Amino acid sequence: MVNLEEIKKEAKKILEEGKVKYIIGYAKSSKALMAAPAFVKKPEDIDKLIWDPTCFQNLVKFLLDEKRKKAREKEPDTRPVGIFVKGCDSRAINVLLQEKFITREDVYIMGLSCEDLGVLDEKKIFKKLKGEKPEKIEFDQRKNIVISTKEKTIKIPLKEILAERCLECTSSFPVISDVFWGDRNNRSPKEPFKSLEQIESLSQEEKWDFWQQQLSKCIRCYACRSVCPMCYCDECVVDSINLAITADTTAEEKAQKIKWIEKSPESSENFGYHLVRAMHLAGRCIDCSECERVCPVDIPIRFLNKKLEKVAKELFDYKAGLDPEQPSLVSSFKDEDPEDFIR
Amino acid sequence: MAEEFEPKIIAFLCKWCSSAGSDLAGVSRMKYPPNVVPITVMCSGSVSPLYIFNAFQKGADGVLVSGCHPGDCHYIQGNFYARRRIALVKELIEYIGLEPQRFKMSWVSAAEGKKYTQIIQDFVQELKPLGPQKKLRREK
Repeated sequence: MVNLEEIKKEAKKILEEGKVKYIIGYAKSSKALMAAPAFVKKPEDIDKLIWDPTCFQNLVKFLLDEKRKKAREKEPDTRPVGIFVKGCDSRAINVLLQEKFITREDVYIMGLSCEDLGVLDEKKIFKKLKGEKPEKIEFDQRKNIVISTKEKTIKIPLKEILAERCLECTSSFPVISDVFWGDRNNRSPKEPFKSLEQIESLSQEEKWDFWQQQLSKCIRCYACRSVCPMCYCDECVVDSINLAITADTTAEEKAQKIKWIEKSPESSENFGYHLVRAMHLAGRCIDCSECERVCPVDIPIRFLNKKLEKVAKELFDYKAGLDPEQPSLVSSFKDEDPEDFIR
Repeated sequence: MAEEFEPKIIAFLCKWCSSAGSDLAGVSRMKYPPNVVPITVMCSGSVSPLYIFNAFQKGADGVLVSGCHPGDCHYIQGNFYARRRIALVKELIEYIGLEPQRFKMSWVSAAEGKKYTQIIQDFVQELKPLGPQKKLRREK
């Protein structure tokens, strides 16, 4: 069991000792179902930290901002940043370490095990509540969640409203950490790629109809890109607005920039964007499902990334984020890689 | 009589083997369908998935990526990287429901002009019954 008091004690200790600059954790938000990211700088603020299944955000994204902030400062504070990580988030840190975007000294990883649970899926709960607004929630013995709305109180077994990724999670504990709470029991879901079957079993035309319907909804708000801990490029290939422009960039250079994908949210361009994003995340996506959670039009983006995760596992026996020393999926190869599709 | 559909194929050929192979087919006056638009790239490993998606967006009916045989790469290992990446692209386009026959990869050495013509012939034959590729095509 993860004991919140122990976490607070450790957090207080490292803040008082000045071991970390600040701690990125979770705090209560104005929404009952969602914890908010909290930045704790002073030991006396420690009491606002929480840890329960509402802590579904992936906080690793904030490390990218921290790195950029540090690069702008004249005399940056080089102490590490304390960060709360779940199993999936810790793999995100591993990928960033693997790509040498951050160094191990930049972070003080406070690992929290989800143990036999996981985090909530807001959308699943809203479906159960049928439009009512949750006012207060409580967890009953790590088995049920008790949600009170204005009119009624309902009890739902936690298993029913856990995020899809948690049901398919194979390592619910952080694989890299400085301090650790909870247990390290490996779960082995029988079918870690079960959710993909509903698409894979479709015929080719049905697959197209499904994706056509889903991706033509996309309004290209790039929320999925903004929330993704792996999307850290300064210059994004899909979107011609954010070119890296310096004082030396000539007008000619700007004009000659290739627009691979147009900005207009048309079906073809949306496919281009989502396919490119899926390819860029191949072997890097650690399945935190943040992209799907923040999508305002409910596109099942996770299915694209999960598919490539499955292909990487099956064809190349590669799993993202387990070891910061392993070479990345597309920058390595084995002699025995399959080539039966090549003539 | 309506004209028969002629598919348009974009072929990314590596400079050192496949492009030379297609050249050999040309200088040896071997006959093969004129449906292919060859684009010479430095290495099959330099073909970004973006090139492939973009070819489809611009209306290609089929895309071919061709490089040196494994072990013969001018850059020692470029085609091994390509092999991995193209395998991922292939799975992905099949998953979104594009006809998997529209995308092919092959190894063609500089001496295999004959093989190149055969690949193009077969590719065209396979694409003809599928009709024009409209799924990823840009509307304008």
